[in-house]
Amino acid sequence: MLVRFWGTRGSLAVAQTAGAIRGKIARALVAAGGRGFADTAEAEAFVDRELDFATGGTYGGATTCVEIEGGDGSFIVCDMGTGLREFGIDAFRRCAAGHERTYHFFMSHLHWDHIGGFPFFGPAFDPNAHIVIHSGHADAEQALRRQQEEISFPVAFDWLRAKIEFRTLAPGETYRIGGLDVEVMEQHHSHKSYGYRFTDDAGKTAIFSTDSEHKIDSMEGEADVAHFFRDADLVICDTMYSLADAVSMKEDWGHSSNIVAIDLCHEAEAKRLALFHHEPIYSDDDIQRMHQESIRYEELTRRETPLEVLCAYDGLEVRL
Amino acid sequence: MIWSEEARDGAIVAAPRGKIDESTAQDFGASLEGAVGRAADAAARLVIDCSGIDYMSSRGLRALTLAKRKADGSAVTIVLAAPNGVAREILAISRYDKLFGVTETVEAALTA
Repeated sequence: MLVRFWGTRGSLAVAQTAGAIRGKIARALVAAGGRGFADTAEAEAFVDRELDFATGGTYGGATTCVEIEGGDGSFIVCDMGTGLREFGIDAFRRCAAGHERTYHFFMSHLHWDHIGGFPFFGPAFDPNAHIVIHSGHADAEQALRRQQEEISFPVAFDWLRAKIEFRTLAPGETYRIGGLDVEVMEQHHSHKSYGYRFTDDAGKTAIFSTDSEHKIDSMEGEADVAHFFRDADLVICDTMYSLADAVSMKEDWGHSSNIVAIDLCHEAEAKRLALFHHEPIYSDDDIQRMHQESIRYEELTRRETPLEVLCAYDGLEVRL
Repeated sequence: MIWSEEARDGAIVAAPRGKIDESTAQDFGASLEGAVGRAADAAARLVIDCSGIDYMSSRGLRALTLAKRKADGSAVTIVLAAPNGVAREILAISRYDKLFGVTETVEAALTA
């Protein structure tokens, strides 16, 4: 199974500013200390080996879109945030090389940042494409049609050329879709959200759990969440806020924290956690700091089995 | 988790010991709630002596938040005192050091 992140930002797409890029270049030049590089490859090796990620790269700014490979050859995609546009461009490239044109989408929920990429999803205009949109919400079609009404967008949903179907999934059931076993979990979020557990035929499991608030007054229910995460090879988890923010000013905004995610993964004996749905006001330095603090918290609270704590970024690939 | 408590210098000083995680957080929360009630009855502040806490997971931290909500409604101040290095790091990572007053020693919490 291969998990590929196309969009990892929460709530609102963001872009790097000229000032932010200037700061990265300046830090890189200082780190180089006057060294010269013979060619681009040598310079890139310096970036990879000697610069921290926030200096030599970026976590990106596209909103939620995660691809899972490892099923029957159809595309498996979680959510339609703005990262979906880049995925669509890459899917055209792969289809031109012979990839099957069936797309299985799994929707966490229907808020803007999780559907806003669909009007820019090129394969929706491909008359040979078959798009199946799976959701725990029965009103998924309404949400997608509404965002392409004339008041919001110039291209109507009915102008799309692909064959598009909607299927509603129920929590507690196990489905066989796209060559994967898929389980669904209801989560606490405005208008509800749903988490998904994907298991391939080799037994590898990835969890997609975003926009899920773990309420302070119902902590006893977290045993069910840990069970859903059980023994997972990768848990992609909403870690938008610090715990202090999640229980105070931003309570009921529908999101979780890095340390609750780590605790749940420890309880579930999961192998890897990907910090996800990054706060849009966070700079790359802020996200990198949050990642380092999360690794440290995992060390401080570790049980028998270490949990690898990754920080998702646009373009990250994780092979399970 | 072992909980002990004493009235001292006009405050309730509680001293939980051990690990506070999902297996002990419920007891920790119930003990905290009781201590907040006793502090309210005595019009005293509640000092949590954290020196005996090995570590505290998010469950324990959130139990602290529930206790603080009750305390705020009863005009009781909760102060976290003498956290060891691990507890201090966890308070910083969770940003709980922004929600609670944290002192180096129990004595400092009594006089703060």
